[in-house]
Amino acid sequence: MLDLRLPSGIFFAITGLILVATGFTEPRAAMTTANVDLYTGLVMIAFAAILLLLALRSRRA
Amino acid sequence: MHLTPVDYVILILYFAFVIGIGWRLRKSVTSAGEFLTAGHHVPVWITSLAFLAANLGAQEVVGMAASGAKYGIMTSHFYWVGAVPAMLFIGVFMMPFYYGSKARSVPEYLKMRFDEKTRGLNAITFAVMTLFSSGISMYALAKMFNLVLGWDFNSSVLLSGAIVLAYTYLGGLTSAIYNEVLQFFLIVLGFSPLAILSVMHAGGWEGMRQRLPDVMTHAWRYVGHADQNPMGVEAFGLIVGLGFVLSFGYWCTDFLVVQRAMAADSMSAARRTPLLAAFPKMIMPFIVILPGVAALALTKMGSGYSLPPKGSGYDYDQALTTLMAQFYPSGMLGVGLTALMASFMSGMAGNVTAFNTVFTYDIYQGYIRPNASDRHYLTVGRITTVVGILLSIATAYLAAQFNDIMDFLQLVFGFVNAPLFATFLLGMFWKRATGHGAFIGLLSGTGAAALTHGLTEAEGKGAWITSLHTFPSQMAQNFWIAIFAWSACFLITVAVSLATAPHPDSRLRGLVYGLTELPADEGVSWYRRPVPLAIVVAVALVFLNLIFL
Repeated sequence: MLDLRLPSGIFFAITGLILVATGFTEPRAAMTTANVDLYTGLVMIAFAAILLLLALRSRRA
Repeated sequence: MHLTPVDYVILILYFAFVIGIGWRLRKSVTSAGEFLTAGHHVPVWITSLAFLAANLGAQEVVGMAASGAKYGIMTSHFYWVGAVPAMLFIGVFMMPFYYGSKARSVPEYLKMRFDEKTRGLNAITFAVMTLFSSGISMYALAKMFNLVLGWDFNSSVLLSGAIVLAYTYLGGLTSAIYNEVLQFFLIVLGFSPLAILSVMHAGGWEGMRQRLPDVMTHAWRYVGHADQNPMGVEAFGLIVGLGFVLSFGYWCTDFLVVQRAMAADSMSAARRTPLLAAFPKMIMPFIVILPGVAALALTKMGSGYSLPPKGSGYDYDQALTTLMAQFYPSGMLGVGLTALMASFMSGMAGNVTAFNTVFTYDIYQGYIRPNASDRHYLTVGRITTVVGILLSIATAYLAAQFNDIMDFLQLVFGFVNAPLFATFLLGMFWKRATGHGAFIGLLSGTGAAALTHGLTEAEGKGAWITSLHTFPSQMAQNFWIAIFAWSACFLITVAVSLATAPHPDSRLRGLVYGLTELPADEGVSWYRRPVPLAIVVAVALVFLNLIFL
């Protein structure tokens, strides 16, 4: 059976990287000066890392 | 709202992943049971999140932000009074009978517990309603994308239908459930930043409290009388109508959600599914309702953001998308839209996977061809999936053509759903309840609902017989329709049951309280046991209601 943590982890890792990369071009939204892409991208990468770590650990066990 | 290539890249990436998950799961679909009921081996963390996400359609996400802007924090009642207590009830009290009965669907449980006609009534109404709600939400989404992004209505409908078809056809219920979980993560990660940004910009919760009328930031203070709050509801209608009848009727009997718990790998996991789902469910108002409340505060403070006007008020349905346009740069805009698209598609997949199971097992196997091979039912399940999606698409176009018919149908569905919980409550906890009682009770409940609607009016709706009473709002009318329907069903079921021959005990084993061995869970750590989990949720729930009192 497919371990769902694997594809979800990969998906959020890629999306997170895209967001971080977009964040470096400093796109701006009308009403905020915060770099929303960069921060959300980093959170996604962290979340992806947890999912992948858990998936790999249960694979090894 | 203007999208850039990076937004489309994220959207396409998501489509690739959902179809990829279906593709990877296709080999595990070897029997009708695997395809339609996921073969009872989905881990509990996945069933829990799917239990939540199957209900979290795009209409709900957009609608909750709209209600937040319109009614304020009172909207949280749909979660903290409505959904969560019902989720605790099904986990602790009802799941032993659903899972223990080995029924493959909710209508099949009704057949085992009551009789063929009760099952037939439930199966057919459920199948029709599922298709229509799938079509109606498809229509709503395509209309929204047309309005916000200028996407072609036909392309939105056909593309989303094709993707849902691809992954449900390939991987069946397992695939639908897996993608619901992915969607849930995406909703949380895609909309939390919006909640944080909009609330911060509106001056935090304190700032919002100062800028908004008191009634918008208190959930309970103004429910003493319907005149005092914008929902036009009073505490009794709210607690009994919404909190008891409607939400228990939905969360405890609707096969769409119950199916997710039934897919769990053990009785204990099935019971914990709704209980674990209750934790994120409690938190959802912060992600989906608060941005709506913030949108109103931002409008009031002249921040440069304003809810789009409509008539003399605002177009609340656009609260979420207009906030996104203001607070999200390209990139996050893609994530937000992907989350909306995802929640819509998994809502549709939820409907389709519930529809194909009920059709295959309860209608086709029940009445058309009872004794065929498993292979045959797998094929029927697959064909039903295709037909279900085609019918949803047809319904979406019907909705686009005839808005009035859809409003009428949703009203009728409400009449059919309102009494259901009385039937299940009596069925599971009173062994004297009989099939005739249940069937006549259900019909009477639906009749009572229609009658209440015909005799009362609210906001110019209803009263097609004569007007005996006027409700302050349609919401109040809906709550009271539910209360009357439930009471009629309950009383008539009891009366008819007492007048008809009881079912022998031997037939009711495993189906009714008192004749079912309840699962013992001694020796398991507390956080794996249903009752302690439910107590933790209940305490947190009281706490949340007190904060926003």
